[in-house]
Amino acid sequence: MATSPPTEVTAMRNAYVDQFPDEARVIKAAFWSSFIALAIGGTLGLVQALHRTDVFRFIQSPDYYTVLTAHGVLLAITFTIFFLVGTFTWAVTTSLDRGVVDVRFTWAWYIMMVIGTVLVAIAIFSGFLESAPSVLGSELNADVLFTFYAPLEAHPIFYIGLVLFVVGSWLAGVDWFRTWLAWRSENPDERIPLPTFMVLTTTLFWYICTFGVALSILVFLLPWSLGITESVNPLLTRTLFWYFGHAVVYFWLMPAYMMWYIMLPKFSGGKLFSDPLARVVFVLFLLLSTPLGIHHQYLDPGIAEGYKFIAMTNTMFLLLPSLLTAFTVVASMEHGARQRGGEGYLGWLKALPWRNPIFTGMALAGLMFAAAGFSGMINAGMNINYLVHNTWWVVGHFHLTVGTAVALTFMAASYWFIPQLTGKELWNRSVALGQVLLWFIGMTFMSNAMHRSGLFGMPRRTAEPQYQGFDFEPAVGTVGEINMQVALGGVILTLSLALFLLNMIMTSIGDDSESIPDNTYAGTLSGAEDSPRILDNLKLWTAIAVVLVIIAYTLPLASIIDAGGLFGPGIEGVRLSTWVDPAVIESLGEVIR
Amino acid sequence: MSSKTEQREPEHVQTLGHEEYDPIGTAILIGIYFLILVLLWIFMYFVEFLGNGPTVVGMALTVVGLA
Repeated sequence: MATSPPTEVTAMRNAYVDQFPDEARVIKAAFWSSFIALAIGGTLGLVQALHRTDVFRFIQSPDYYTVLTAHGVLLAITFTIFFLVGTFTWAVTTSLDRGVVDVRFTWAWYIMMVIGTVLVAIAIFSGFLESAPSVLGSELNADVLFTFYAPLEAHPIFYIGLVLFVVGSWLAGVDWFRTWLAWRSENPDERIPLPTFMVLTTTLFWYICTFGVALSILVFLLPWSLGITESVNPLLTRTLFWYFGHAVVYFWLMPAYMMWYIMLPKFSGGKLFSDPLARVVFVLFLLLSTPLGIHHQYLDPGIAEGYKFIAMTNTMFLLLPSLLTAFTVVASMEHGARQRGGEGYLGWLKALPWRNPIFTGMALAGLMFAAAGFSGMINAGMNINYLVHNTWWVVGHFHLTVGTAVALTFMAASYWFIPQLTGKELWNRSVALGQVLLWFIGMTFMSNAMHRSGLFGMPRRTAEPQYQGFDFEPAVGTVGEINMQVALGGVILTLSLALFLLNMIMTSIGDDSESIPDNTYAGTLSGAEDSPRILDNLKLWTAIAVVLVIIAYTLPLASIIDAGGLFGPGIEGVRLSTWVDPAVIESLGEVIR
Repeated sequence: MSSKTEQREPEHVQTLGHEEYDPIGTAILIGIYFLILVLLWIFMYFVEFLGNGPTVVGMALTVVGLA
């Protein structure tokens, strides 16, 4: 087992690449795919920050939406999920102490995901061309944003690419399950090791939630974009997207959680406070990740308030595992600090290894996640959500969650992973420490300004939120000051990103080192033997999760189909039936002109 | 040049088992976090209700989709 006292430099190197050289190659490839997406998507983030705030505009505003789509898809889907599949493959093989069943299968799903990504990228980036080529009978582009539901329509290649990417991730799940089953046949009475348990529960809810987006693409969006069906029911595709769209948030988050549970205690110098509590948290995510997507649709007409209320209740329940995590992870850090000689009620914080970029990056990511907890509660509250819905507040929120809790944890973890996968020492730890601090500072500027601007109603997904004859009125500060904070934050984040990539490249081209620490993860104060065996009953939890989804979604979906039809009335079918004063239309026209 | 020192296991002054360890510092931090949450909720009360007037969700019939 790999839970022996962690991180000892031994005479005989025992890094991951020494234990599992074949798997290390696939994981390295997955991480580099992730880093490339991060580099491109992150740079486009700066373009947006400067354009929106009118600090520096060098693209046409219609192209802003192409940039926005690429930024969202490359970061929220490609960067995160490629990193996830690498991390999960590491976690399964390390904790089961055996390789995957057949590494050719592992390469197969990885390559499938790469092909999917390339197709999606071709469709999106064609949006920058003056005259995009016509393929399969329609012009190549996909300015549909990360939330790719109707009425926005993409080229079929975009949807085909997404399907390949998601199916690739499904096969990755098959790979992890196969490896676990092979291990179980050799170890029938053992408890599932915690990292593998985390991987399997996360994979199970990924299967449940991606069913919705697969249905949306294969039955509705793809046939529609190919011209096979004439129209779609926009509310139905929206609802199916959000059925997947919120669970995907937890899919990104679970590898970060895994790092906080099994690596952060180790780098703090301690042990995980409670293995049973960690299992409970992951079971709760399996149960509750999916039946709450409607909380993204609080302002959608066509879904009755009662269904929205159920989604809100489920969302609030989901605060529980996050708060449990806050306790368990901080208690594990405190355990490490006290073993290192930390004393006092809060004095132990000084004993933590703040000069270690891996620890500091993950700890700061966790701190930002605590802040995101508050803005998430506002988003989740049905009435108060109306205040911030579709404003920049929401963008501020998810730059704290996926943009920091996840991204900063992944970057910090890379400082440990890349030496493990290459056998080469990290190029520069001081640069790494500066990088994680810069990310934290940059995001503090950018995200707080975004949250504040949402409070006075500044919209999101808008290239030019500057209007004639209208000024936003912040309660504190000015719009100019808020814009400057966003632009400054964007520049600092881009600098941080460049330093991260520099460190990764220089590490990868460096020389082999014998002083790579052993491939281990944190031990536990209270182990699996302290938890009931029923926690490992994956069939039971999956069955309950499916029942909860059926309860939460059957009636809303039936009602949406009943009202709008399975394939229509389509966007042409939406008409304003109420009488409107022609003078109002005229004045609206003036405003638009 | 990278340093090797951070790669080593941090020096332990003592070893704390499950029974000897009492995460009092964690309890204090979580307490502070809850306090911040409460203060921010009060702040949002002023932003939402005193700034814009309350948002009415609707009565029983609207809630179940019958009206």
